[in-house]
Amino acid sequence: MILSFFDQFVSPTLLEVPLIALALSLPWILYPKPIPRWLNNRLITLQGWFINRFTQQIFQPLSLQGHKWAALLTSLMIFLITSNLLGLLPYTFTPTTQLSLNMGFAVPLWLATVIIGMRNQPTHALGHLLPEGTPILLIPALIIIETISLFIRPLALGVRLTANLTAGHLLIQLIATAAFVLLPLMPTVATLTSALLVLLTLLEIAVAMIQAYVFVLLLSLYLQENV
Amino acid sequence: MPQLNPSPWFAILVFSWLVFLTLVIPKILQHIFLNDPLLRNLDNPLMEPWDWPWF
Repeated sequence: MILSFFDQFVSPTLLEVPLIALALSLPWILYPKPIPRWLNNRLITLQGWFINRFTQQIFQPLSLQGHKWAALLTSLMIFLITSNLLGLLPYTFTPTTQLSLNMGFAVPLWLATVIIGMRNQPTHALGHLLPEGTPILLIPALIIIETISLFIRPLALGVRLTANLTAGHLLIQLIATAAFVLLPLMPTVATLTSALLVLLTLLEIAVAMIQAYVFVLLLSLYLQENV
Repeated sequence: MPQLNPSPWFAILVFSWLVFLTLVIPKILQHIFLNDPLLRNLDNPLMEPWDWPWF
């Protein structure tokens, strides 16, 4: 059996038990149930602040109808950011590298925003397909282009998250392999490679948080157009 | 690319939505915020800074 660098993304099984089930269900132990007290412990307070401020930040530009999505989008943010960050630890599996998961979240939520727009205000929703002030001759072409860009949104949403995390993990594995292989041969170069690896890991931590935020932000923008 | 492997596709999709709906959303909803938002006017001075008790 020849291993390739992509094998880290195969859904892992141990003795026929799919470990992705553990990777998906265990991280929520890190979020204990808060007992309502006036002054909670540090962890609960920090989590509560994050949830509160994040919800405020995302939903400020939305109309009141859009605020119904607050629980869903904030929970999605917590889900994605936890999965992404925990996947950077050694020997863990990142469920959000799986295209099925990301498309599974992107497509239904995007479709929900489109259907809400079409049902409640169809003219306004369809009006997004034609930007203001386009020359008359360009109208057919632009409507086609805007429709294509509308339908590519869920694809882009899912694939963006998958590709960013997959690429990050692959890079970490590649550079770590290089550092390890170079260690007996050229120790100086191996040290430089290890320094690069440290910087890359910091970048991946940032990417993990940013990509989760971008996913939820884009969904809130699609909702803003349609609600 | 193993992510395109169709065999655990649907299972991962369903299981992740299940976990999301049953575990994550209730945990987020349990964070309730007891204090009403404070409307500060000129008569209402700024709060005293606080920290957790260190004993």
